[in-house]
Amino acid sequence: MSNPKKSVDEYAMGKIDSTDGDVLHRIAALYSQLDPVPDSLVDRVQFGLTLDALHAEIADLQRSADLVGVRSEGAPDVQTVTFTSANLTTMVTITVLSSERVRVDGWVVPGDGVAIELRQVGDALKTVSDADGRFVFESVPRGLAQFVLRTDSTTVEATVVTPSIEL
Amino acid sequence: MIDAESLPESLSTRAAALFRAYRTGNTAVMGDLVALLTPVLWHTARAQRLEREAAEDVVQSAWLALVRSSESINDPQALLQWLIMTVRREAWRVLKRDGRSEPAEFDDNDLVTPVHEMPEEQVLRGDGESRLWQHIARLPERCQELLRVIAFSDRPDYAAVADALGMPVGSIGPTRGRCLAKLRAQLDADPAWGDA
Repeated sequence: MSNPKKSVDEYAMGKIDSTDGDVLHRIAALYSQLDPVPDSLVDRVQFGLTLDALHAEIADLQRSADLVGVRSEGAPDVQTVTFTSANLTTMVTITVLSSERVRVDGWVVPGDGVAIELRQVGDALKTVSDADGRFVFESVPRGLAQFVLRTDSTTVEATVVTPSIEL
Repeated sequence: MIDAESLPESLSTRAAALFRAYRTGNTAVMGDLVALLTPVLWHTARAQRLEREAAEDVVQSAWLALVRSSESINDPQALLQWLIMTVRREAWRVLKRDGRSEPAEFDDNDLVTPVHEMPEEQVLRGDGESRLWQHIARLPERCQELLRVIAFSDRPDYAAVADALGMPVGSIGPTRGRCLAKLRAQLDADPAWGDA
């Protein structure tokens, strides 16, 4: 190149030009290649937003890292997810039954008589927690799912929704 | 100068148009809005060094938060900024909760401190790519974050995006600012770059 090299200061004060545009374009391509947006993310977000009770409280999702990805020979594939909201803590254990179905065991605290809805694409399963706050969905199709918890069916304030997760 | 009626088409103006439609009752456009902005939000979350799964959760939480508080966003033009800020804050909260150190708030020293090497997660396709990657890795971490997120937005939005990332005024747009300037100077000084 015949142009004398510019200092960082000179560059910093200059207007963004088409070379910068090219460099940034290449940076985007680079990150798209190295760290692509997960294929299912847009679907997952869109599904989570289709719920009617959108003004309900959103629970915080925490995955237990020690269980995720553990696959010992013969052991069932299990993951545990905890949802926390102001007044409820819900722990959900998902056990893979087959390539198409999972079992969902839950425990909600404080949990007597909480109405639990498991929303899936085009379907919803419902149950109520027992006196200890336990609930179970014995056989659920795999795929996107979201929990809706209602401690009192009469007010939206008593409703908690979870982010959607992939079962 | 640009008047308000002819704002150049950019990510934030496209997002604002969809968000206005959503607020006037066309809820179906939310899907388009999510598809439009998820890439920039993903890279915002990942630039905070969140694991991929946690980054997905954080992006989703930001959208849920938006739908809950959509009335509180006065200016649809500011939606992109609001979402980036929300993702970033949520990412920090998760890092803190999980006992990982959150990235430090911006400090001017960040622009002179060399950064540790970025892991090259997989083999890059061409010489040009790995060259560029090496140059990015030499930038301070805050500059890497800025350029990564900026790269997924459009030029008219650069200043607003930088602001949402907590960068000082003038970090980028309309002038290059220090981060992009550093990268350009590094590329200039690299004899192999010109042909890459």
